[in-house]
Amino acid sequence: MNVLTRTPSAPPPDGELLPWAPERTGGAPPQPPPSGREGPARRTTSFRPLRSLLLPLRLAWRQLRAEKARLASAIAGVMFACVLVFMQLGFRSALFDSATALLQSMRADVFLMHPLTTASFKPETFPRARASQALALPEVQAAVPVYLAQASWRNPENGARRAVQLIGFDTEAGVMDFPGLAPLVDALKRPDAVAFDRRSRPEFGDVAKLLAERGPFEAQIGNRLMEVVGLVEIGPSFGADGNVVLSEVNFRRLVKERQVSAIDLAAIKLRPGADVEAAKRRLAELLPRDVIVLSQPELVAWERRYWEEATPIGFIFAFGSLMGLVVGMVIVYQILFSDIASHLREYATLKAMGYSNWYLGRAVLSAALILAVLGFLPGFGLSFFLYGAVGEATFLPLNMDLERGVGVFLMIFAMCALAGLLAMRKLRDANPADMF
Amino acid sequence: MRGGANPIELRGVGYAYGTGDLARPVLRDVDLTVGPGEIVLLTGPSGSGKTTLLTLIGALRAVQTGSASVLGLQLAGATERQRVELRRRIGFIFQQHNLLGFLTARQNVAMALELDPATSEKERMARAGAMLEAVGIGDRADAPPAKLSGGQRQRVAVARALVGRPGLILADEPTAALDKQSGGEVVRLLRDLAKRQGVPILLVTHDPRILDIADRVVSMEDGRITAAEAGAAAE
Repeated sequence: MNVLTRTPSAPPPDGELLPWAPERTGGAPPQPPPSGREGPARRTTSFRPLRSLLLPLRLAWRQLRAEKARLASAIAGVMFACVLVFMQLGFRSALFDSATALLQSMRADVFLMHPLTTASFKPETFPRARASQALALPEVQAAVPVYLAQASWRNPENGARRAVQLIGFDTEAGVMDFPGLAPLVDALKRPDAVAFDRRSRPEFGDVAKLLAERGPFEAQIGNRLMEVVGLVEIGPSFGADGNVVLSEVNFRRLVKERQVSAIDLAAIKLRPGADVEAAKRRLAELLPRDVIVLSQPELVAWERRYWEEATPIGFIFAFGSLMGLVVGMVIVYQILFSDIASHLREYATLKAMGYSNWYLGRAVLSAALILAVLGFLPGFGLSFFLYGAVGEATFLPLNMDLERGVGVFLMIFAMCALAGLLAMRKLRDANPADMF
Repeated sequence: MRGGANPIELRGVGYAYGTGDLARPVLRDVDLTVGPGEIVLLTGPSGSGKTTLLTLIGALRAVQTGSASVLGLQLAGATERQRVELRRRIGFIFQQHNLLGFLTARQNVAMALELDPATSEKERMARAGAMLEAVGIGDRADAPPAKLSGGQRQRVAVARALVGRPGLILADEPTAALDKQSGGEVVRLLRDLAKRQGVPILLVTHDPRILDIADRVVSMEDGRITAAEAGAAAE
């Protein structure tokens, strides 16, 4: 009889003995009980993490690849979830960004604001004297009162009226620095001169084109003809679709009912090298309780918190993202589940051959993760394209950044992994004892 | 701790489905020994417990009573992990071929080797190819099961059972899904290859046409072994 040698360490010395009992040949060294129970040495599994991950992965890929239509629908499902989450998160952050566009473009070190002001489009006023009082601190270089108001702007092209945000302050002081403001400082000194926000919505008229064609031109704001002398860059926000920057004096001419002594914000510039946090603390000690002291990021965060907490916007988009992930998970789960269900006999056979539940589980998880990657890549590409197209159509600042890309990938990954873990339960139904 | 040199040694094995008053015994006090290289056919009417016996020996069910030593492992009280390890040393052949439809014949056969960390991919494919040659369908090695005939598929299943050089082959009605001619060819092929490797076979069958391959035929009825007779091949 031809005996095959299965254990290099214990070759049978004669043809009588069979390879599954090597220790009975007498030639084999006494084996420790665990491996002795499990049989010949070549069967003891050495730990090879790469191999134990790659082989199930390959099995999963071959199985996915075999059913093109099923694979395509799974990829489409993941892609759908991916695009939905990207768009929801994009809109969310774009809306928050645009909500705070005005405050974000106000560049000053420290701001004073009335504590009851919740959003910049409906400010509570506080005494102008607070700005002067702030000058008591040696590290304060300048303090500029800021007036905010809304007025109607008449479109110079077609006469339609629309509310515009007015920002009046001492443009000469150099405390608040809007992009594009610096070269206009002299022009804004003229009576009734204003600077228009070039990123305002198009309903205000193509001011940039008019300005380029005609030079400074007259436009009606409120009940007064003002002269548009230049452009700044701020961007529309929730509260206002367009912005107009003008000097304090011109603001008073335009908004006659506003008392000079009641201001909405005070922008403070510190001496170079001054510690913002320390200055903030000392200002808070110095000033009465009718103002709060905020750094610029805090001011933006204050406004943002209003939109996040006092409106359902944040919830709406979080909910939308979650729904996208749930739908994606259900699709992936369905695909994986039906893949297992239609291969139960084959899986049971593999189990009978000695494949463990966990090995097959790894194959299912691998399939889920393959779907995550294959769905994310086109989903990312499509979202990138949509960000451009939708951003252009809605004037929302939709930007794909690395952080969001990685974040969404992790979400999709988790979504698919969860679907895989749920589908794995179906593997228990593959019982090799029922195969006979 | 280990059993004797015989690949299969059963002593007083009993098995019942259900528990308590509802327990329905299907095996009662079964003694069975299969010696090295022996080919044993298990026959009997349906419901006689032969398939249950096969799943117990294949470590697919836990032994309830009695002592069952298979390839040196005492199955009574064995852990799930030990049983999974044991299954890797057993070649299974089912009524249906149960090949993975998304793999080629060669890849299906190689699946039996992928659990062995000592083999490389190249080695697995070479061994799978050689085994397919041995079962006579080397030229169809790269075809998916859907493009093979029933007999060819069962040959792939035989190759898959044998390629890991198992210590034991367990087969359950391997000819049930095949016509007379290809069924006979497949079991004779199985016998020849097993004899060459010295592997014992325990084969459950209803099929009287293949009794002649056995060294010994064991009949079962109502959960008991009723008769053992020398097969045609043992003369």
